[in-house]
Amino acid sequence: MSQRNRLGAGGRIDRKRALRFTFNGVSYQGYAGDTLASALLANGVDVLNRSFKYARPRGVVTAGADEPNAIVQLGATEAGQVPNVRATQQALYDGLVAKSTNGWPNVDRDVMGVLGKLGGKFMPPGFYYKTFMSPASAWPKYEQYIRKAAGLGRSPVENDPDIYDHMNHHCDVLVVGAGPAGLGAALAAARSGARVILCDEQEEMGGSLLDSREEIDGKPAAEWAAAAVAELGALPDVLLLSRTTANGYHDHNFVTLHQRRTEHLADVAPLADGRRQARARMHKVRAGRVVLATGTHERPLVYARNDVPGNMVAGAVSTYIRRYAVAPGQRLVLSTTNDHAYRAALDWHDAGREVVAIVDAREAPDGELVAAARARNIRIITGSAVIEAQGKKRVTAAVVAAIDIDGFRVKGNTSELACDTIASSGGYSPVVHLAAHTGSRPVWREDLLGFVSGSVPGQIPAGGVNGRWALNDALADGFEAGARAAAETGLSASAFTLPTVAPVREGKPVALYQVPHTKPAMRAPKQFVDQQNDVTASGIELATREGFESIEHVKRYTGLGFGTDQGKLGNINGMAIAARVTQQTIPDVGTTVFRPNYTPITFGAIAGRHCNEFFDPRRYTALHAWHVERGAKFEEVGQWMRPWYFPRGSESMHEAVQRECRAVREGVGILDASTLGKIEVQGKDAREFLNRLYTNAWTKLDPGKCRYGLMCKDDGMVMDDGVTACLATNHFHMTTTTGGAAGVLDWMEMWHQTEWPDLEVYFNSTTDHWAAMTVTGPNARKLLAELVDIDMSAEAFAYMDWREAKIAGVPARIFRISFTGELSYEINVQANYAMHVWKALFDKGAKYDLTPYGTETMHVLRAEKGFIIIGQETDGSVTPEDLGMQWAVGYKKPYSWIGRRALSRPDTKREDRKQLVGLKPLDAQLVLQEGAQIVLEKEIRIPMPMVGHVTSSYFSPTLGHGFALALIKGGSQRIGQTVYLPMADGKVHAAEVVSPVFYDPQGARHHV
Amino acid sequence: MSEFATFNAHPAAPVRAESPLAASRVGVAVQSSAQGAGVCIGERALLGHLILRGKAADEGFRAGVEAALGVPLPLKLGPVARDDARGVSVQWMSPDEWLVVVPEAQDHETELRLRAALSGHYAVINVSGAQTLLELSGPAARQVLMKSAGYDFHPSAFPVGKGISTTLAKSTAVIRRTGEAQWELIIRRSFADYLYSWLLDASEEFGVFVAR
Repeated sequence: MSQRNRLGAGGRIDRKRALRFTFNGVSYQGYAGDTLASALLANGVDVLNRSFKYARPRGVVTAGADEPNAIVQLGATEAGQVPNVRATQQALYDGLVAKSTNGWPNVDRDVMGVLGKLGGKFMPPGFYYKTFMSPASAWPKYEQYIRKAAGLGRSPVENDPDIYDHMNHHCDVLVVGAGPAGLGAALAAARSGARVILCDEQEEMGGSLLDSREEIDGKPAAEWAAAAVAELGALPDVLLLSRTTANGYHDHNFVTLHQRRTEHLADVAPLADGRRQARARMHKVRAGRVVLATGTHERPLVYARNDVPGNMVAGAVSTYIRRYAVAPGQRLVLSTTNDHAYRAALDWHDAGREVVAIVDAREAPDGELVAAARARNIRIITGSAVIEAQGKKRVTAAVVAAIDIDGFRVKGNTSELACDTIASSGGYSPVVHLAAHTGSRPVWREDLLGFVSGSVPGQIPAGGVNGRWALNDALADGFEAGARAAAETGLSASAFTLPTVAPVREGKPVALYQVPHTKPAMRAPKQFVDQQNDVTASGIELATREGFESIEHVKRYTGLGFGTDQGKLGNINGMAIAARVTQQTIPDVGTTVFRPNYTPITFGAIAGRHCNEFFDPRRYTALHAWHVERGAKFEEVGQWMRPWYFPRGSESMHEAVQRECRAVREGVGILDASTLGKIEVQGKDAREFLNRLYTNAWTKLDPGKCRYGLMCKDDGMVMDDGVTACLATNHFHMTTTTGGAAGVLDWMEMWHQTEWPDLEVYFNSTTDHWAAMTVTGPNARKLLAELVDIDMSAEAFAYMDWREAKIAGVPARIFRISFTGELSYEINVQANYAMHVWKALFDKGAKYDLTPYGTETMHVLRAEKGFIIIGQETDGSVTPEDLGMQWAVGYKKPYSWIGRRALSRPDTKREDRKQLVGLKPLDAQLVLQEGAQIVLEKEIRIPMPMVGHVTSSYFSPTLGHGFALALIKGGSQRIGQTVYLPMADGKVHAAEVVSPVFYDPQGARHHV
Repeated sequence: MSEFATFNAHPAAPVRAESPLAASRVGVAVQSSAQGAGVCIGERALLGHLILRGKAADEGFRAGVEAALGVPLPLKLGPVARDDARGVSVQWMSPDEWLVVVPEAQDHETELRLRAALSGHYAVINVSGAQTLLELSGPAARQVLMKSAGYDFHPSAFPVGKGISTTLAKSTAVIRRTGEAQWELIIRRSFADYLYSWLLDASEEFGVFVAR
């Protein structure tokens, strides 16, 4: 198909590089430098979409981020699908495939359009809520169909083939927007030696300079822009980021920039030099000063049927003609309230197309651009406006009438002007969104008829966003802002000479938002305020009449300002209508709150590389490779990867665990215990510190000895436990639970630094320094005796002793402690030597069938002994007494310790607290469910008192039956009773309350 | 000396020692040579690492450390004290904490020298098994760091010689700048595989060479 709207010359497109693309299955051609929107307009495609609610045909309205209608679904493949792409912001590339977001079976013949057409009048704001009110239970079903009919694009159902990443930056000055003000600011700051980042959301830097009619330093504005960009690009401390949207402006000048790195090349990122590259990159910028040079968005006028394709904002018409060499029609009517919009008519005329008329709301326009139009003999109709567009899928005529703005009425007769394009301009709204992200509220400027940003510390607005709209003003404001920003970061700003621009005298604009119609708004054809959300002027009137007077309520009731454009196009008009109806001023009505993100952003960019293997760090022990080779199944404990069990052949988990348990009870097993937290405590007050930290006493622990310790929080509840060894008088090796290591170290530092800074003691983590291997079972001593150089006899190396030794030639600390109830040694060697020692143990251990075991077997073995696991038997509400561990509480210690006071409260002394007991299911084969609730009666009624829950439950091959640990109210007094466990499936299990120590209660097995 | 225990972790007769990266795999495409690579990554494994705690205000402590290590004790965040000829460096970590790195197997004798030279309230903790040192170099090395950490790596904020400790990806690292385009990263053993994979992944786009 030919590009019938393409101009023969001009524009910033490369006519030598033709690009093919497909829209709704039809193949078209455009040029390098086009956006998808400009290419579609060049090809004369009028209808790009169906509207959200009424399914009305819609075309391109703007040329940027404020576009409400030209929203497409991009992607040639399923995995490459991207929803909600603004065609006005999407660079054309060869092979691009896009579809309309809405419209079934297609945009030209939409089934929903019938409903929209017939039902339009009957679909006021709140239509769905009002209509589908009852029965309430049916709403999910209604919603399913309503969403199918509406919606804005869809997510891909396949995994994203692309990668995304993040990059952190620090700079003196971040400049957002590379139009005249932004380029000026960046130049002034960079020339002063500042570290500058300049970002701009468009493909090319230059902003309004790229389609300006004006000259700078006697050259076309775009040439000056190119020279400025070149100068900046040559400076080492300047980073230029085009295709990069400042999406979020957070506290302390932390700004997130979303850079689209490959979206102008393909829908899936191509390889670069054979290497993967991130499709999008989130830049996290910490800036000394932020210069906001985000410019303005032009406001369209709100007139009847202003959504028919062919209605555009005036500035967009200029942009398409001058930048993309596309005249999006043949005959133009311009409806304006200001001089600046006359550019559209001049550009249209100069492109050789017919300007039917300029309809100016003012009685006597007289600026330079007005004179230029008169000089071209363009018809100017003053004191009037376009009050209605004619046409269905394309504008066919504009209905024009003289209007009384103050009286909000049409004066006299209407007339029709045949045309195919209506450009409108109701003024310019500074783009204050980013400033508003920080919480500052925009401030109304009556002279500008727009909101400018409120003040934000460290932020300097410049140019259009600052109300400095004329080119010479915007440039000067930019240079001044850049120099000021540099100076405020401590640099001496270099003097600058402003580029020369001949000022253009513009007349005063008039305030007009909604254009009066011959009929009242409720009866007139729809006057769209927010096209993306199908919000009309009458809808806003209705909302205010129904009592939604706050603009935040109007927004949520009507949908004004939602969607991809976030009200960029419609918000001010909507506020103006609310103000008129409620007889307030616009500043009284106020704005809604703008929040990040400025434009839609892919989740990939937010996640960056923090996905899959990088989602959460995985920590490995020095022996991990051996476990992998041995076929271990792993369990994540905190971030650690711990062997869970080591299946042999086709063993199930249950079979493997039973075998591993038996090996430890009958022979010898080995566990990689390296993940246990380890903290070195050194200093003359180390012992005293331990006295205060632990519930039990440490005064009399001699070097060479170990002791189990229990730690409470200050509320008296158990927080951690572990064995601590006295290495020397003032030197201890503390162990903590695997998950508690970092928290315990913080806890110790907190108490030391805030409460007891007088104690001379230092703590340091040595968790990663030591690899720990637990050799346990009746044959443990025999095995170790073959590898160590010390006397392993019970007399020389008793239970709860530690010894220094060489094992397989490697220096080690061996702790004779037991978490299994068997004879047990925990061997600590410097982690780099761990694999050597581990393998040596297996070399010598073969004849004892040395069996590696994992965390599951560890859990079964310790539970048989009634040993607790923090976080399993405890949940932050369990005292040492509740666990039956009074023996580990030193009430007689001379100095208080953490938790002591709380443990003397009446509540912690109650006898009916939940206490740790054992449970023996009456059905010996049954393994109770962990977490199961416990009741006292077999007959279940609701409600009934629940007295506790199962904390741990396993099958014991040693005992030959299932068993559990549980916390039960007054449990220690219930030994011998039967309790009941009602299950979700209706079954009720029965179990006998027994001692939590199921195996070797005398401890004979480890005292050998 | 009986107030504190010291421990020489090294066997008298050599046995195979494995660095924290012994089993790590390179999961990205790598360059065949350093020539033209944007980033070079290599490990300096098995060095001696010690944590030193003490009172910076104590003149005796400062003098003792300098006597034992042969470099002055740095007293604030900034340049790492180094004697490259002897392979010794001392980095300020916090107001009462320093990281001492010495050549392989010199950790124990360094600890003994420190303990002999120091008195009063101080601590020496051997963490040689707990961490390893990566060398990161090349024209894109700084960008790799920028992709991984929020610290300012610009020469004005991070001149050659400086050392810091910061968050790296979702773990932590000690980072030192040893040249315009040369950096040292000291990372924890258990996080080493994660960080190594992360750094390789972040380097891939620039062309990465893995020095062995």
